[in-house]
Amino acid sequence: MTENIRINNPNVKYTDTHIEAQYCYHTTAVRRDGDTLTVTPSVSELEFRTERHVPRLGVMLVGWGGNNGTTVTAAVLANRLGLTWRTKTGEQKANYYGSLFQSSTVCLGEGPDGKEVNIPFRDLLPMMHPNDIVFDGWDISSMDLGSAMERAEVLDWSLQEKLRPHMSHLRPRASIYIPEFIAANQAGRADNVLKGTMAEQVEQIRADIQDFRHSSGVDKVIVLWTANTERFCDLTAGVNDTAKNLLAAIQSGGEVSPSTLFAVASILEGCAYINGSPQNTFVPGAIELAVERNVFIAGDDFKSGQTKIKSVLVDFLISAGIKPTSIVSYNHLGNNDGMNLSAPQQFRSKEISKSNVVDDMVNSNPILYHNGEKPDHCVVIKYVPYVGDSKRAMDEYTSEIMMGGTNTIAMHNTCEDSLLASPIILDLVLLTELCQRVCVRPQGSETFQSFHSVLAILSFMCKAPLVPPGAPLVNAYFRQRACIENIMRACLGLPPQNHMHLEHKLQRGFLPRHDNRIYDNVTLIADIHTNLTNICSNDTVGRTSI
Amino acid sequence: MTENIRINNPNVKYTDTHIEAQYCYHTSAVRRDGDTLTVTPSVSELEFRTERRVPRLGVMLVGWGGNNGTTVTAAVLANRLGLTWRTKTGEQKANYYGSLFQSSTVCLGPGPDGKEVNIPFRDLLPMVHPNDIVFDGWDISSMDLGSAMERAEVLDWSLQEKLRPHMSCLRPRASIYIPEFIAANQVGRADNILKGTMAEQVEQIRADIQDFRHSSGVEKVIVLWTANTERFCDLTAGVNDTAKNLLAAIQSGGEVSPSTLFAVASILEGCAYINGSPQNTFVPGAIELAVERNVFIAGDDFKSGQTKIKSVLVDFLISAGIKPTSIVSYNHLGNNDGMNLSAPQQFRSKEISKSNVVDDMVNSNPILYRKGEKPDHCVVIKYVPYVGDSKRAMDEYTSEIMMGGTNTIAMHNTCEDSLLASPIILDLVLLTELCQRVCVRPQGSETFQSFHSVLAILSFMCKAPLVPPGAPLVNAYFRQRACIENIMRACLGLPPQNHMHLEHKLQRGFLPRHDNRIYDNVATKMVLSTGYHASQQNGVCAHVVKEATIG
Repeated sequence: MTENIRINNPNVKYTDTHIEAQYCYHTTAVRRDGDTLTVTPSVSELEFRTERHVPRLGVMLVGWGGNNGTTVTAAVLANRLGLTWRTKTGEQKANYYGSLFQSSTVCLGEGPDGKEVNIPFRDLLPMMHPNDIVFDGWDISSMDLGSAMERAEVLDWSLQEKLRPHMSHLRPRASIYIPEFIAANQAGRADNVLKGTMAEQVEQIRADIQDFRHSSGVDKVIVLWTANTERFCDLTAGVNDTAKNLLAAIQSGGEVSPSTLFAVASILEGCAYINGSPQNTFVPGAIELAVERNVFIAGDDFKSGQTKIKSVLVDFLISAGIKPTSIVSYNHLGNNDGMNLSAPQQFRSKEISKSNVVDDMVNSNPILYHNGEKPDHCVVIKYVPYVGDSKRAMDEYTSEIMMGGTNTIAMHNTCEDSLLASPIILDLVLLTELCQRVCVRPQGSETFQSFHSVLAILSFMCKAPLVPPGAPLVNAYFRQRACIENIMRACLGLPPQNHMHLEHKLQRGFLPRHDNRIYDNVTLIADIHTNLTNICSNDTVGRTSI
Repeated sequence: MTENIRINNPNVKYTDTHIEAQYCYHTSAVRRDGDTLTVTPSVSELEFRTERRVPRLGVMLVGWGGNNGTTVTAAVLANRLGLTWRTKTGEQKANYYGSLFQSSTVCLGPGPDGKEVNIPFRDLLPMVHPNDIVFDGWDISSMDLGSAMERAEVLDWSLQEKLRPHMSCLRPRASIYIPEFIAANQVGRADNILKGTMAEQVEQIRADIQDFRHSSGVEKVIVLWTANTERFCDLTAGVNDTAKNLLAAIQSGGEVSPSTLFAVASILEGCAYINGSPQNTFVPGAIELAVERNVFIAGDDFKSGQTKIKSVLVDFLISAGIKPTSIVSYNHLGNNDGMNLSAPQQFRSKEISKSNVVDDMVNSNPILYRKGEKPDHCVVIKYVPYVGDSKRAMDEYTSEIMMGGTNTIAMHNTCEDSLLASPIILDLVLLTELCQRVCVRPQGSETFQSFHSVLAILSFMCKAPLVPPGAPLVNAYFRQRACIENIMRACLGLPPQNHMHLEHKLQRGFLPRHDNRIYDNVATKMVLSTGYHASQQNGVCAHVVKEATIG
């Protein structure tokens, strides 16, 4: 990626290797005394440093031969090759619709004509392009990716024909299969499974990662679970409560789920690990291991369809002062995910993941909900083979409006499950990779620090976001999106989006004429000094003059 | 209202009469050179001054006897009286659900326990409480508000019984009726209309406003149109293109709609005027008149139901990189609004108002939409008497997802039209009243200035927001809401919400311990000057350090 955004501000420095930005981070602390709330604002000065060099990225998918795995691999190939194909309505081009970074935009500010300038989200900072990702992975089914793509029944046939020669030679590595964790109905697919003790299997996964890294020549590997939903794992003291116990349990063959085994193998290899399914892969011992080793982990469960809309609609209703009182969600789907979820224990994992999505919004409004009150919330998932990957979500939202009135929204949502999940897989790995190149130094601290191992900024893409201990859990869609945008802006020294347009709201304008003096020019520094009243600027200007 | 939020910061000063806040407003200018975009951030130093005293507010509704007019009046009475009533599912209390200010919350920051503290939106700044609003108004139907409430068929019967004694004594003043502007089917209701020339009628409306102001003892009057949708007015040079021509046309009896006549009367009386219907009340001459007289105007068309959800869903889809390609909206309703809209010219006004709501979101994404490309967008409204005020909206959103895939969302939305619109009427007048007490002084300027007469901050409540010339038009729901929240925070010197939670995202925390030292205390000023602000040589924060040390 070439950078095509340049920040013209003395607070932002471009070195050969880094973008270094001085940033003022604003917070408030609130204290309650009886009826009075005292709000104390404060400012922390932070230095953001972002590595400009974008590495060659390899992504290893657990469940590579599944619908998501084949679809995301096919989509990247089709985009890289610039494929087009005929459909009955005309020619279709490969694209990345549904990807936050590739297909949505952010507003940078106003151009000389007064119009807002919107750029692709991915252009804010140097990011990997998905076309450059090298894929590899594991699957308990040995089917090559060409045949697996056909089995998935997701992509247009004429596209499959063009892709098959590129997909057929891709074969998933043998995976870890512990029958009790997934539905019994998956046994028929399990013809590509590792043998040996649990410890030996973890060693093999580590060897696979090393092998992929060396043979493909990638600089960095990220591992992502897009395989079957597992049942929840019991949290047991002495087994998975600490990193040490978890590693011991793997040696002795205790209860450790395949997804946790993959997570441990990845962390030990220093590879970020992302969980796209709802189960509790990240038992306390796994989280501790990630923190100890300074490796990123993120999850859980792709937020792609019904839950994503729910995190928009419920936020909308509550933020408008309307009180959702009952939320009922019926789903049916006919892909292998649906078949696996037809078993009660696996469904239970999904149900838990889906059920907490409105909690943060409900808790934020004590006018509508008294302490502990929640809307009724019911989630049903049924396996209906005929509909295949074309998942149906039928939702009813009943809300109380003014004076006891009722508002009922019934929604029927049809979508290709894997076509919505694939761009989210890309967003997850691209943002993770970017976060590995960002570090922050608070004022007064000698050293830069990285993001917390539990990468909460990925919440936007997750149904049940994993956050560091004590961190607030945000499910509301637009708040999550603003979080990513504003953190990426911070890396460029740009303040948060304020949406105020004050310069257009007063009787007379107050902004200077559209101003693009380049501050690299020495003669302008005096000018900056008199004109710039930015909190952060003075310090930097001082340094510049030295 | 007593204020229960106190900002503990030397940038914010509470005088007996005002809250004065120093604020850094950040913008960026973008220049394109070939493929490179150069972004130049800049900061404007502003002083916000908010009057603390909340006046007694009177609201005059045009169309007071309609479903919205009776419902909002009844709701305020029921809340003021603290009424409860039985329904088949139990006891129901009066409330203001659906009001942004009364029933939604904003986050102030974390408390000592680390949990976010959320407060009612209305508590951010001193605002009028809706219970304290005094209502009056006009209607072309003479029916008293008790009977009109019954005609509306909106509120529970047991509530109506309790309210009738309070509502029956309220009678709308005679209104302006020019048959050609609304549907012919409204003629049966028109038994309470002004006579005389157009100029005389405007004078009568002005006299009504004066009479209400004096007899009720309110300090401030805001006029709001919640009457019938009119047909669009032709924009004609010499008639309504300038303030002068518009006033002349009223004298000579040119083509001026009743809603514009009400707007002119209000503006001449110095009363803010809000248009809750879709027609083009604000012809250029009316806008010029408002600007000349420094009076606020806002509109158009309450954003209450289907369009509100549309401005959420389409923003969501496009912001997620998904491409809506077809949006089809069917509505049916059986109230008087529906009957009036069954006439083609009035429907046309509504159709225009509803059709542009996705434009800003579509235009913001040149990856999904090439220049000039838009999704198909079709709006149908049908009059079905049986459903009454319980409006149905059936929407289909078809979107293109990755690799030519399709996502289809079909939505069926049932709601009491007037129960959704009434809290929005309250939000509109309360925010307008607040804006009348806020002024801003940019650094270097001697004088404070008010908001622009075209009060764009009210966009959140409007289907087709009216904005000052050259201002960006925002329909996206969450951007509009953030705008109100961040401007109100600015009045308190609080920076915009950033949603970043950075203090929880790094390996180690970097915030000082939960800190609530009160900066009025002299001893803490030392702490201040050794802290972050000390490095400042000029600008807002430097001023403050100086002041703090001196004081």
